[in-house]
This record gives sequence, C-alpha cells and structure tokens, in this order.
Amino acid sequence: MNDVGPRSRLSRRQVLRHGLIAGIAVYVAPLGSRAYAALFDERLLTAPAWNGRTASLKYRVDATSKVTGGKVFARDIRARDMPHWPQQQAHALVLRTTLADRLYAGFDLSVLGSDLKPDRVVTAADLARAGLAFPAFYGEDMLLPPGQTAAYLGQAVAMLIFHDFARFRFAKEKLQFNDTVVRYGTVTGPLQRDPWGASRFVRVGGKTGYDEDVFSCTKQGPVSTVAYDRHEPVWPQPARDGDLGAQGMYHAQAIDEELGHPPADWLVMTRDYATQSGDTAALEPDNANGWYDSAKQEMHLVVPTQSPQEVAEGVATLIAKSRLGLKRLFLHPCFTVGYGSKDHNPMPYYGLLAALYGDGRPVRLANDRFDQFQAGLKRHQFSMRYTIGVDRRTGLLQSFQAGIVANGGGRANCSVALTMVGATSAASVYYFPKTDVAATAIASRALDCGSARGYGALETLTATELMADELAAALGLDPIEFRLRNVLKTGMKNAQGAVPDGTQRAEAVLAKARAHALWTGRAAAKQAYEAAHPGKFYGVGFGCIQRRFGDGAQASFAKVEVARDGRITLSHTGTEIGTGASSGQAVACVRWLGRPADALEMAVTEWPDLPVETSGDPHAMSQDEQDRLSLNPRWTPAFASASSASNSAYYFTHTTQAAARVVFLYGLWPAAVAIWAHGGPGVLQAAKPEAARWRDGALVVEGFEPLPLARLAQEAHARGLVVGAAVHGFNRWQWTEADFDVVGGAVRLAVDGLSLRYGDGAAAAKQALASTPNRYHVLNRRTAAFPPTRNNNAMVGYNTAVGTLAELSVDATNGKVAVLAHHTILECGNMLVPDLVSGQLQGGTATGIGLALHEELPLYEGGPGDGTWNFNRYHLPRGSDVAVWAQTAEILPPLSDSEPPKGMAEVVVIPIMAAIVNGIAHAIGHRFRTLPVTPDQILKVLG
Amino acid sequence: MSLPTRKLTVTINGQRRGPIDVPEGMMMIDVLHEMLDLTGSRLGCGVGICHACVVIWDRDDQTSEEVQTCITGADFFDGKRIRTIEGIARTNDGGEITALSPVQQAFLDKFSFQCGYCTPGFVNAATVLIERLKRAPVPRAEVEATVAAALENHICRCTGYVRYYQAVRDVILTTPGLTRDGA
Amino acid sequence: MTFRRLVQLAAVAAVLVAVALSTFIALRLLGGKTGGAVQVVNAPAELVARGKYLAEAADCAACHSAPGGAPYAGGLAMQSGFGTIYATNITPDPDNGIGRWNADDFWRALHDGIRRDGQQLYPAMPYTSYRGMTRADADAIYAYVMQLRPMKVANLRTQLDFPYDIRLGMIGWNLLFLTDSVPAASTGSSAAWQRGRYLANVLGHCGECHTPRGMLGQMELSEPLTGFALGRVAAPDITPAGLASRGWTAASLRTYFGRGIAGPASAFSDMHQVIMLSTRNLTAEDNDALVTFLLGDKLPLPAPLPPADPAVLEAAARGAGRGDYVALCAGCHGLEGGGVPNTVVALRNNSTLRLADPRNLLVAMLDGIRAENFPHRASLQAMPGFADKLSDQQAAGLANYLRVVWGGQKPDVTAAAVRALR
Repeated sequence: MNDVGPRSRLSRRQVLRHGLIAGIAVYVAPLGSRAYAALFDERLLTAPAWNGRTASLKYRVDATSKVTGGKVFARDIRARDMPHWPQQQAHALVLRTTLADRLYAGFDLSVLGSDLKPDRVVTAADLARAGLAFPAFYGEDMLLPPGQTAAYLGQAVAMLIFHDFARFRFAKEKLQFNDTVVRYGTVTGPLQRDPWGASRFVRVGGKTGYDEDVFSCTKQGPVSTVAYDRHEPVWPQPARDGDLGAQGMYHAQAIDEELGHPPADWLVMTRDYATQSGDTAALEPDNANGWYDSAKQEMHLVVPTQSPQEVAEGVATLIAKSRLGLKRLFLHPCFTVGYGSKDHNPMPYYGLLAALYGDGRPVRLANDRFDQFQAGLKRHQFSMRYTIGVDRRTGLLQSFQAGIVANGGGRANCSVALTMVGATSAASVYYFPKTDVAATAIASRALDCGSARGYGALETLTATELMADELAAALGLDPIEFRLRNVLKTGMKNAQGAVPDGTQRAEAVLAKARAHALWTGRAAAKQAYEAAHPGKFYGVGFGCIQRRFGDGAQASFAKVEVARDGRITLSHTGTEIGTGASSGQAVACVRWLGRPADALEMAVTEWPDLPVETSGDPHAMSQDEQDRLSLNPRWTPAFASASSASNSAYYFTHTTQAAARVVFLYGLWPAAVAIWAHGGPGVLQAAKPEAARWRDGALVVEGFEPLPLARLAQEAHARGLVVGAAVHGFNRWQWTEADFDVVGGAVRLAVDGLSLRYGDGAAAAKQALASTPNRYHVLNRRTAAFPPTRNNNAMVGYNTAVGTLAELSVDATNGKVAVLAHHTILECGNMLVPDLVSGQLQGGTATGIGLALHEELPLYEGGPGDGTWNFNRYHLPRGSDVAVWAQTAEILPPLSDSEPPKGMAEVVVIPIMAAIVNGIAHAIGHRFRTLPVTPDQILKVLG
Repeated sequence: MSLPTRKLTVTINGQRRGPIDVPEGMMMIDVLHEMLDLTGSRLGCGVGICHACVVIWDRDDQTSEEVQTCITGADFFDGKRIRTIEGIARTNDGGEITALSPVQQAFLDKFSFQCGYCTPGFVNAATVLIERLKRAPVPRAEVEATVAAALENHICRCTGYVRYYQAVRDVILTTPGLTRDGA
Repeated sequence: MTFRRLVQLAAVAAVLVAVALSTFIALRLLGGKTGGAVQVVNAPAELVARGKYLAEAADCAACHSAPGGAPYAGGLAMQSGFGTIYATNITPDPDNGIGRWNADDFWRALHDGIRRDGQQLYPAMPYTSYRGMTRADADAIYAYVMQLRPMKVANLRTQLDFPYDIRLGMIGWNLLFLTDSVPAASTGSSAAWQRGRYLANVLGHCGECHTPRGMLGQMELSEPLTGFALGRVAAPDITPAGLASRGWTAASLRTYFGRGIAGPASAFSDMHQVIMLSTRNLTAEDNDALVTFLLGDKLPLPAPLPPADPAVLEAAARGAGRGDYVALCAGCHGLEGGGVPNTVVALRNNSTLRLADPRNLLVAMLDGIRAENFPHRASLQAMPGFADKLSDQQAAGLANYLRVVWGGQKPDVTAAAVRALR
C-alpha cells in the first residue's frame, strides 16, 4: 500500500472501500490504505524494520512521518492537501454560552464591523429548517435556540464561517473572551434534570469466595431504579421473595443494617472521597475539515476519531434524516490521540455542519486550546461514600457499601456505562463477602463528559486504595500485609459474583511490592531524609489495583495476506490512536508468520471479503434473541469496536493472530511439508506444525531444511493453498467459537466469521468458490457458540493487575509535593512490543501524578465553560514533576509463552494516584480524600 | 475588504521564501500553516506555554535558539533564518527523506513518542541544545540535569518524558565534543 | 560610584562620632545574654492563631523562610549597598533559633533592634517599622513562632564591608534614624484608617521598600511611600496621589491585596511574594483598613487614562515600536493590548505602564517575568524576556509605544535608559 501511483492515474473509486448506510453510499479511506496515501500524498506507514536476530521491532511503523513533521494529524490537513477538493479553504468558529442559569437571547456581531463580517452564520433556526439534528446518542440542541437556558456551560449557539483565513483569524481575536457578543435574558437558574442513569450492584456471597452466591449480578442481575423523586433515584421496595429488584434491595437493606449495628469484633469505617473534573488534554485539539459538494450531493470529511465506524454511521444517519440530499459520504478518519476524548465525540458532527454551510467551499473547524477546554469532552467528577466493615481479629474484609455519584454534565454521552464500570470496579483487588454499590450518573450544567482514560474505574479504585491504607492503619497492620490478606485469588468471585478469567496475579504484584527496597526501607529513609532536609517531610506510599480491559462487547475484523514474494499485508478495523496499535498488530503476525506485516491498513471499516450482518444490542439482548439471531451464519452481535478501553493488545491481536494462524496451518505449513517431502515422506510423519518454529524469518522443524517465508509463500501460491484469511471475532468476556469446513476438514476456531483466499494455482473448482471482489471464499460457519448474554451482568471478565510505590517529599514552606521516585509492578501477559508497554506505563504514571497533584477544573461557573482556560491554570505534569531519571518498573514474566497480551494502557495511570496520596499521609500524617492534593490544602494541614 | 499587510521575507530550511504579503498581526504559526504549507510546527496552547510550535532561529552569531511561533508575529522573522521540523532531516530533491538527524533517529530507536504531536518541538529543542553543547560542552556528570533543564518547558501528555530525555542524553553522551570529563 | 563612595565615607565619620558619643549608653544597654534555659511556651490556641495571623500580616516569612529552605529557618540573603545580610533562624531551636529567647528578648528585637545576646540588629530587619507594634501583638507573634517546628539550620554569617560590620555602629545609626512612629502618607482619622496605618506602617512595613532611602540606608521619612528602587524592580509610589494617578481605586486595591491580580495589574517580583505570604491572608476588614490608609479617608478620584495627543498616537502607530509590539507582544497581549482573561494581563491602563518612571516596564521587557501561581488557583504563565531580541533603541521605542498608547505617559524613554538596565 505504500506504492503510491501518480495521483492522476489513481481514481478514488478504485481505492476507496464502499458500503451503504441509511441509503447513503459511504466511502472510507482509512489510514495506511492507498487511498489514504494518495489523499495525503505522503508515506505515513513505512514497513517495520524487522531485526530477525533480536526478534524485536526497531521502531514504530508510523515513526518517521511523526519525527519529521509529516502531515500525520487531521489537524495538519487543508483543502490543498485534498487533490479532489476546491483549493480555497474556509474556516469556521463556534459561539458558545458562558452562562447556564439564564435565557440565551441571541448574539451581537457588531464588534466585527463590516470588514470582518462572517460570510455565513449558522443558527438553530437553520438546522431546524434543514432538519439537521444530532444522532440520538448526543441529545438535543446541536445549536441552542434563543429563548432557552443552556443545558450546560459552553453549549454551542451558533457557527460563523469565513471564506478566508485572515478574516477568520482577526474576527476570532475580536470575539474570543468578549462577553458582550452572546446576549442573555431572564435568570432562570440552571436546568434541573433527572440523572442520566442509576444502578445498584448487590452481592451476598456463599460460605467462601469459591462457593455459590446467595445473590449477585451474575446470578440474578443488577438492581435498577423504579423512578426518580426530585431527581434522586428511587430503589425498589425490599422484599425477600419479591422480584429481582425487591430481592436485591432486601439484601442491600440487610447489609446496611449489619454495618449500622456491626458484630462486636468488626471495625466499621465510613469515608467520603471526591475526584476532580479534568481534561484529557490530548495535545491535538479537536478539529474537522469538510467539503459539501451540493451539485454532486457528496460530503467529504477529514476527522480525527477513535471510532471511525461510529462517525461513518452517525454522519450518514444524520444527513439521511435531514432535508439535504446526500448520495455519497467520503470519510477520512485520521491518525489521532484522544485518551477517550475523541471517542463518541460530537465534534465531527459540528465539522459536518460547517461543511454543509460552506457554500461549496471546504470548511475547517479547529479548536484552539481555549476552545478545547471549553468544548472538549471532560473527565467525570466523582463523589464517593464508602462504608467498609472488617474483622479486627483476622483483618479480613466483611462488607462493602458504596454510594457513587458521577457528574455526567450537560449531555449523557457514555456517562451511564462509565459510571457502571466505576461501580463494578470499586472492589479492586479485594474479596468482599458482601457488597452493595449504588451508582448514579447525574445530569448537570457542567461540561459534556466523555470516556476519559480510566473510564470511571480510575476514580472508584483510587478511593478504594486510599481507604485500604486507612483501614490497615486502624487495624495496626502493614498496608501491603492487609491487602495480601484480602486479595482476590484465582477462582474467587468478584463483586458481581463472576469469576474473573485466568490467573489472578494481584497477589504476585503485592508480594513483589512488599519486598521492594522502597517499601522495606521506608522508615529508615524517612528518618535520614528529614534529618538531612529540615522543613521537608518524606513519605512512601503504595497503591495496587486491577481493572478490566475491554467493554464486554469487543468485535474486530482482521485480514492477513501473504503475497507470492512473502510480503505480508494486514488489514484491521483497529484505529491507531498514538498507543502504537498499528505497530503492535504488525508484530502480532510474527507468532505465525515469523515476521511482522510489511504493509498495514488500520481503521478499515468496509469488509466486502467477509460480509457479516449485525443486529440487536450486544450489551442488552436476551439469550433467546441471541440464539435466534445466531442461526444466521452471517450474523454477529457487533461489527467493530472503537480503539479504546485498552483493547488493542488483547482483542485486536486475537483476530490478527487467528487470521495469521489459518494462513499458517492451511497455507504455509502444508507448503513446507510439500517441500520437505522431497526429503522422503517417511521422515515427515513425525513433523507436526506445533513443533515448527520461526528462526531468522525461516520455518524450522526437527532436522529439516529451514524454509524462508518467501519460498513458502511461492509454494503456497503455486499449490493453490490458503494465502489469505479474513476473520471476524466477538468477545463478551469470552470468545465466540464456531466450526468451519476449511479445505475439507471441520475445524473449531475462536472466530465467528471466516473467508479464505487461495493461491492462483488452485483448481478451477476451488477458484469458483471465491465470490468477493478480492477473490475470497466466504465460509459458512456450521455451529457457532456465542458467549452467553448473562456475561453482560458480570461486567468484569479480564483483569490486569498493577501496583505502584511512590517516594515523595512534602515541602513545609510552600506545601509542594515532589515525587522523588516511583516503582511500578505490572502483569500484562506476553508483550507484543515491550518498548510500547513501558512507554505506556511511563506516560500513564505521569498522568496519574497530574491527577493526584496538579490537574483540576472547576465544574461550573469559573470553569472551562467560560472559555478562558489554558495550560497556565491546568498544570500538566512536566519533566520535573514525574521523576524522569528515578522511576523504575518491572513486568511480571508471562504465565506461559502462549499467554495472550493484556490491555494495560489505562490501569497504569491509577495506582500511583493512591500511592502519592498514601505517601503524603506517611509524610505528614494527614489523609487527604479529595483530589488533587494542592499546596494550599497541605499548608492548611501543616498550620 | 482590506486588512493592512506587511511584506515578509524569511529563509526557511535554507530556502528563501517571499516576499509575501502577511496581514499585520498574524502570528508566525499561522503563516507557516496557512500560507507556507508547513504544518509540522504544532499548535498546542497558542499562548507560549507548551512549546509544541517552536522553530529554530539561526542567529547571525552562529548561535541558535527556540522561538515559539504561536506567540511571535510573522514580522519578527522578516529577514531572519529559521529551521522548522520539516527541515531537520536530510532530504533529496524529490523531498524524500534520505537521512534523519541524530536526535530524530534516537527518538525512533528509543520509542520516545506516542501520538507524536509534541515531537517536532522536542526535536527542535534537543537540536538547539546539542548545538549549544558543541559551543560549550558540559561535564558528563551534568548531562542529565542539562537535558532536563533544556526540555522542561516542553509539554508531552503521552510519554511521561522518560524516553525523550533518555534519547537526548544518549545522543549527547555518544557525540564527541558535547561533554567534558570531571565536574 | 566615586561620589557614592565619598558620601559613604562621610557617613562613616558621622557614625563613628555617634559611636563615641554613645559608648556609655552602649555600656548600659549591652545587657546581653547567651546560653540559658530553653523556653517552653504553652500559649492558648487562640493566641497562637492570632500570632500566626499577625506574623503573616508582618510578612516575617518573606525573609525568614528562604526559597527551598525550611519555614522560618532563615538563610535568605539580602544585598544592601553595604554588603550581604542573612535572615536568621527564628524557629524555637535552642542552638540555631530562638529557643532560649523569652518574650522580653523577642520584644526587644522587634522594638529596639537588639538581639538577645545584646548585639545590634541591622535595619534589614525592619524593627524600624516594627517599633510601633503593640507589646500584645509582639507577644502573640512570639507565642506563635515558639510553637513552630524547631529547625536545626545554622545561621549564615552576615558579610558587610568595613566599617559597617561593626554592629556597635548601629547604636549611632539608631540614635540618628530610629523613630517611634513612621509618618502617614495619607490623611484620615477613621477607625479603619487608624487600623490601616498600623497594618501598613508597622506590621506590613510597606515603607521599608516603598519609602526612599538615604545615604545610610535610612528611610527618608519626609517623603513616605513615594517609591524607591531598592532592588532591580522599583517599589512604586503608593501615596494616595501616586495610586490615583495610575487609576487605582479602593475596589481594585482590595482585589489586588486579596488575589494579586486586579484588572490589568498583576503582582510580580517581591510584591508577588508579599501578596502570597501576607496580604492575601488579611481579613476583609483588615484588607479594607489597609486600603483606607493607603488612599486616605477621603478617596482620591482615580485618574482615567488621559487621551493621548492624536498626533503622538499616530506617530506611535507608525513607529518601529508598534512593529516590535506586533512581532513580540501582541501574540499574548493582543493587538489591542487587551490581554486574555485569567491568562495574560492587559496592557491598556496597566499600572506599570502608567508609571512615570519606565524602570519596571523596561525590567519586565528585558528580564521577562517568571510563571507564578496566585490565590484561588489562578496562575500566570512566564513572560519571556526580550533582552536578546531587542536592541537598546528597539526596547526604548517599544516602551515608548506602550507608554503612549496604553499608559498615558510621554514617549521619553531613551536607549541610554535601557542600556543602564542591562
């Protein structure tokens, strides 16, 4: 795909993939495709430089363009970069309300005079006329009509479009920070709305963590609200023999009574915790660039997004419902970074509006940092009240009651799902015989919140880890000893009554931490440091968490093809978001093909070679519905997942390797056997594919001649063996398995869809089976075993455990906390690219330090909705904040060389937050329960 | 309509550009992005904090320094010589990259960046630092502190800085003439 | 320089005479103590709290807590025309601090400038202002500092040139310059004004920086608070007339003392520290009293930005200064000098631009201003210094542009004035 022909000879139609959504033809030119390269006229994905000897990736596949200032980001794209667009680039800006407690009464642009008058002004009235409205997911009032009170601070009221940059630039200088532009009327007070959602997760375990539960989510289900009273959730009336909700509340009530009147030997502690509203601070601010060709009824859109599939569907549906005509949508998802803020983000839809009103010109809508603080998706603010009962004699946790409120802000977005993830993660690495966790996602005038890195669990887990230390202190136990006594062991049920998949390794992480010099030497170090540094307090803190990765409905496509010359091409639905997913997937091919993919197509959304049909909500469907639908051999519960939830390493790799494995077993291996057969068939009986290994890019087994991939590929092509495989996989805390007839034999594979490409040497009959554009043979699965829908209640299936020790000092003069060093212990299975793992870890801990000590946004007035926020007040950690030279980490060795890689990009942010706050307690003897811990708070405590 | 303009002539990456008419008050980053098709200098904060937008100003006294293009008017650069990220690697006439600079190569080898948005700023800062050390070497013992001081103002959200700093340190320690022994 | 030297020698003569004259007084006064019991002070919490409040109002920490050092453990180096003086450890450490001092010893230091060991203090310690402090307040501060964590931090030796290193000389200095009360720069009689006078002249010791100093470093009490450049950044005129001439109002001053940022004015250099350590902690009443004293009972009318002569404006708009402004300043301060709320201060009507003396404006332009945090989690990023980007001529032109267009001042800054500050 890097062999880009002259643009003239390359028509879009040839290279763009094609599908039909809501009657609109959707063409998506994904990263790495020839379309993409042709569009951006530059090599973005270079072939990985593979060092066969050390079997390691020399550098990330997208590295060269990034380090040389290439046009990597949607933000870098202008009309002139789009060969088929008009070259004059127009620019748009959005007017926003900065008050949400009074009526919005229109705006006044007189400050612009005649020179800087916008060429087009778009208001709610225009949208109403054209029938343009957000997809349901984003709620109402894409632009707020006058006469209403804004639902939230910073809500968009109008869009101004300028046909040239200079006027846009100077008009913006006059409008920005100018509070005479947007007008207001009567004070109404903020809107009062019911919560976005609320659920309750009750569990009463059996005799031990291994026994049958009395009541749990997995067994019975979560408890839902029956109504809202004055915007507060109303739970079902408790009844032992009532319906599910009544039973759940019966047990919740019992838990409450027990904690209210605990047995004599219980310690019962209640604490309130709060975490801040924050910005993901992705350095590429949201943007979009689009051109609406009304003559041809074509929409062209360049957007940075973590979820191209969502944007393609959303945009097509949005226009289909409007009165505007659209025949074709050309979507160009770009390389991006988001930490969640570019997943299900409304920005692309505003970019669409800008393009629709560009009067034939391409329009660019690009936030500056002030805009991004004012309009970008925010991190939810959490308030948590935890009550925990623990047996004083044994130090064993008995009961956990939690009330969690997440402030979801102005639009629902993912608030409900995120809050439930927070609730179901709160128990962290511990086993509780009884739990009652009630969680509410409230609506407020705070900004629109999204799926910020950590996705709810970051907040609830931090609170749990702070309380663990305080409980240990109250019991007179070493904090890590206390954790070890209560750690969830393999086979035990989690707070939802589900047994997490695989070996639970938190115990191993804890053991390592307890033995670490930072921990064992902390008392002596404190004495020595404080003697040497008058006015400074020394502390060491620890935090350990485990968190799921994935979202309970993970789906992806992968296609692996080996060309005659041995070049490997990988296509995948996964999107590169800066985490190195593309590098990781290229390397994932190594296990079966001996080399990483030479060419990559990420973010592929159209799969003509493997048609699948999807219907129903994978998270919500009943077992019957699933059983019925799965009779259709093309059906699958979900099409493809966004790049988020730390899902690439495990979920994306599964499909990549499944496809590569098929190519190996039914292409390369039989080719090898055929070649070796010249050496005498007798010997061959012994040779088994499991015994085969790749060495320096050649296949070796027993005493046979090593065969380079190129030679095997040639043989496979000549013999008409399998040279390409496209697969679709679905995971709901376990993988779908299905039986396929692959070249004559029935095989069970952990995928729900499979197509094969045969070498040119294949017999005519076999070739005849190839029905797709790229000559793939689409197989009909015989039987398919989809994961049971009850897994949806389990909520947590795959965990990654991580612990961090933080060494710090507190300056009594200015209250500043200096992180002196930190050490992280992580388990994540077999790493695809160790350098990427440690890079994620280093970056994650830096973000954790920011959230523990620096980053904070006021929720309402005076917060980012007023449009005056930037990095001067929102302090992102600098080199001097993160102990660059003094941080260390160890990755636990995988359980076996076949243990799959695990998602780790989110978990690594979390434990250092608790470690720092616990370390401050060790330093100055005060336990903070609100994040971030600021110098002023510390000075107040020190007096 | 007419906005007042000023003539700008500037040598960028060895090429004389202009004179072009630039509206008075336009910041250099906008000229680079919108008029000269050089989008590698990235807008991060727009108020001179994050340093993702820095270019290298080559002064007549042979010294070089970073300049934040988001807060520096185009006028400042009139008649000056600058290097942008697009000009750091060696390229052939076709504009294809033939050789990365030692800093760029080190960033690749060390997996220094993730999303890469701030990378141009780090490349330029490290390049300026190394050029400074060529003129005034530092003791080997002070290299880490020197690197930290030189890169402190550059904000990165993805990486936690470790691999950037290590890469620059290693380039300095392995390039003759940038360090001296002893304190 | 030579002139200064001459003057200093003359002054020395005067001092030595004074020393002679006062030997017998000295002999009587020097009832110095060393050693002695470690004091144990068990003051009631309210007294300690009051002492803390007063210690903050008196901004003890500004000097007695060195940057990076331990709280109240001293170590801050103060440069004077006569050498370097180091602030001392005033934590109750028996050996390094004041652990053996009793309330009388403490009072004597604040009131008479005499250490417990009988040695004279130098007026870098503002006993010259603290002398007006009530004994009750001194005792409260004593009660507070005596319950601080003792810090084992040794004092640094003060290094003055001869003959200023003879502490005895200070006896004469005190005879000449130590007065019981510092005159008021404003007129008033209200209770608030009286309280404000105590806060400004005694506790806050504003005059120590804002009142001009004479040859021997004494405050020229004939012209209190009219402004002086003790360090690189000058302390401006804060008399009622001076403040009003720059547009200050009671409201903006209250905001300034509470938050450090008031409209187009933001505290920098030493005053930023005064805000952070001292004035922001004042109660609303005391803040108001301080402002009442500074402006007087009868509030002066704030002078609006005078309309500049169109011809001058026109010239400024065409001059090189405008070009340099657009090139180097407008990116943050805006083409119209409006700044960015909560991010960059405005220049239009900026207090520093409205000063007749361009010194502080030039210092800011050349050195820049480092990033600082302010109360209520506000924060201003660093302003880069432009010493290496502006020639003397350019800097003068830019300063004149700013002064004319947004400061209502004359374009009278010369290249020489800039050079003098490099």
